[in-house]
Amino acid sequence: MLAQLLAQVAAVVGVLLAISIGVFVGQSRLSTTRVEWRSRVRDAAPIAVVLVLVLLFNRTARETLPSLSWSIGWNLTSTFYEIEGQTVLLFQEYATPELTAYFSYVYVYGYVFVLIFPVVAYFALSDTRPLRELLTAYTLNYTLGLLCYVLVIAYGPRNWIPDLVETTMLYNQYPQYQELTGEVNHNTNVFPSLHTSLSATVAMFAYRTRDVYPKWVPVATLLAASVAVSTMYLAIHWAIDVTAGLCLGAISVVLSRRLVGRWSLSEEFDDWWPSLRRE
Amino acid sequence: MDRESTLENGGVSRRTLLAGAATGLTVATSGCVRQVRSVVNRDTVDHLSVSIATVPADGDRESVQIANLLADNLETVGIDASVNLLAEEEFLRAILVNHDFDLYVGRHPGGTDPDFLYETLHSVYADEPGWQNPFGFTSMTFDDLLERQRVLEGDRRRDVIERIADSVAAEQPFVPVCVPDENRLVREDRFDDWDDHLATRLGYLGLEPLDGDGELRGIITDVRPTQNLNPLSVEYRNRGTIVNFVYDSLGTVAGDEVRPWLASSWEWNGSAATVTIRDDVQWHDGEPLTAADVRFTYRLLEDTSLGDSDVPAPSPRYRGQSSIVDSNAIEVHDERTLTIPMTGSQNVRERAFTVPILPKHVWTERTGGATVPGLPVEQATTTAVVAENVPPIGSGPFQFVDRTGRESILLERFDEHFSRADDELPEATVERFRVAVHPGSPSAIEAIESGSADVTISTLEAYSVDEVTESESVRLLESSSQMFYHVGFNVRNAPFSNPYFRRVVARLLDKERIVDELFGGHASPVATPLAGEWVPDDLEWDGDDPSVPFFGADGQLDESAARTAFEEAGFRYDDDGKLLARY
Repeated sequence: MLAQLLAQVAAVVGVLLAISIGVFVGQSRLSTTRVEWRSRVRDAAPIAVVLVLVLLFNRTARETLPSLSWSIGWNLTSTFYEIEGQTVLLFQEYATPELTAYFSYVYVYGYVFVLIFPVVAYFALSDTRPLRELLTAYTLNYTLGLLCYVLVIAYGPRNWIPDLVETTMLYNQYPQYQELTGEVNHNTNVFPSLHTSLSATVAMFAYRTRDVYPKWVPVATLLAASVAVSTMYLAIHWAIDVTAGLCLGAISVVLSRRLVGRWSLSEEFDDWWPSLRRE
Repeated sequence: MDRESTLENGGVSRRTLLAGAATGLTVATSGCVRQVRSVVNRDTVDHLSVSIATVPADGDRESVQIANLLADNLETVGIDASVNLLAEEEFLRAILVNHDFDLYVGRHPGGTDPDFLYETLHSVYADEPGWQNPFGFTSMTFDDLLERQRVLEGDRRRDVIERIADSVAAEQPFVPVCVPDENRLVREDRFDDWDDHLATRLGYLGLEPLDGDGELRGIITDVRPTQNLNPLSVEYRNRGTIVNFVYDSLGTVAGDEVRPWLASSWEWNGSAATVTIRDDVQWHDGEPLTAADVRFTYRLLEDTSLGDSDVPAPSPRYRGQSSIVDSNAIEVHDERTLTIPMTGSQNVRERAFTVPILPKHVWTERTGGATVPGLPVEQATTTAVVAENVPPIGSGPFQFVDRTGRESILLERFDEHFSRADDELPEATVERFRVAVHPGSPSAIEAIESGSADVTISTLEAYSVDEVTESESVRLLESSSQMFYHVGFNVRNAPFSNPYFRRVVARLLDKERIVDELFGGHASPVATPLAGEWVPDDLEWDGDDPSVPFFGADGQLDESAARTAFEEAGFRYDDDGKLLARY
């Protein structure tokens, strides 16, 4: 079941990538990439390794972190509810089956695509700085997000007011997706919304690289906004989580800009792995 | 300090008074001081604010909805109420082990025989962890009744049980809300003969495989069995269906009766049972299972430290059953026979045969105190109670092979199990039993309908039952249920220690509407925790609760009636309409 679902996601995202590489990246950039890919990989490798390590840690910590959270974290679901009340129900008013389908697909496929495409697109640039900054920002999102997850225990709207969000709740409409997201996340981890923060990160990068990829800006913005709204529409996150997600995204973008290039990790990396230098 | 000197001055004044000078003024002053003291020394009475603990909607969608309804109604009548969502094991730990709650909404495991009320409400258990008296309810009259129903038989027992039921309904130490229908989905194209109760081990034995495949694929919607398989762990068990595949008990519940299982027979000699264990029974690790293991188990349930700890550390599960047995007087005659002295009438005594028998050679090492370096641990916490117990070594029809945390458990048939050799007993007909965790009933239903699983071991959540499409091969099975939803009070603390207060709170719940709207009709509202034939006539549901009827009608709360009731119970409201309470 899960394997089937993963294959489906891979297929859909693969098609989207192929189309958008054609539309946004273009033939000439792909040709230079074919020539320069080794040096670009070498530049981006250190931060990519760090990102992969963080993701692996995230995955293994999924089992143990919830118990740690229950010991030291703040249980804030009722506080969130007191602060924002039924704000997320605003979106329920406009609910239609088509909209539910749209947001569900955006939440699953759109999100995966919006995260992967910029990696490909920036890899296709001779200047590796956007790529390195993007990967750094992803790493920051995950690290800071994980820290928040340990410190804050909160359940999303679907767990608190299931009756009020019944018609649009993602897992009612598409129960199979719960298995997929259950692989990635735990139900007490809603603050902040990493869906929002990572998509917002991508949108901010799209704006910064607007000279290179002008057509990508509106698409990234629309997708990022849709992802953020989808998390509330589908009753997965509170408005507070989404707001915190936007802040986390912004912090990660700003920090990544400052951090990248400060220490030349790639030079140290070369000392460890001189073999990569050979071309 | 100030007060003392004022008093001293008062003393001086009296002497002055005796001297006959400045009389009137001093008398007046001293009276005034006394009055001020009696005014300022009264503690301020606060707005009552309560927290309702419950579990998130994943896995039990109805509890949090009942909690939200109750919180809204409490707010309406001037009590600040907040809902506190806790993960299932955290929730059970908070209410059952640490007794750290005001109110909670959850599912009670219930019981077939009314004797389960003994452990649920007897004063002696008020301080123990587990489903035994989590409320902290204490009453001498009650204890007396609970003890009497244990020893009486027939109509005389029935009379006492009726009185208990009436007192529970009057005192409301907890509010039974409704009994949910137990629905499960099975596929009939791969296995047939789904006729025993699927919350018991017998439900999964004696199945008839239709296509020769040796694997039974079950679904649970609860991750806890993949994390912990300890039959004594109260935080990780509901009814212990999964661990009961791995462990045997002397008798097994079949319908209303307890049928010999690990014991080939038992004979009553007065209230002592002489039990004969079946021939050649083995543990999954190859060690022989003997009468000594049985005696060990009952002693362990009574005190998991086996007398080593300064304070006894009783098991948080099976407490009612073990209290029937006089474990220190158990006599082992030989490898296969032993005499177990018990108290109570026969119906009650047979409950004691349903506890899982644990291997002495594994559990002896677990009687020590559990320790975590650097952290204080409560005295009566033994390793036996907190161990994850993976892999579990039992003697049951299935043995543990592997598990993946939060995902699945794999069991395989234990070929040496006594049921394989005995034609009278239902046996495991599949070689492997794979139990997969699904995140909720909708995904479980989809898995059964698409043919990737055979049975939902967990019951379907009420909201999802109507989504089921039955077909030739997919059947919805409804079984009798003893579990019930309830609101528990922590009666250790004011104002919940006051039965009049609890009664008014109980009357804020519209059970009829809860059943209709939250459960979509897939439950029955109840006025008593007792089920079936044990429900007294005056507590039969008749459209409303006969003891604590809802204030209002059609889900609409009659706010003023509820407020008046609180006032009649001796509580007061301030000018803002908030209920005041000392707590």
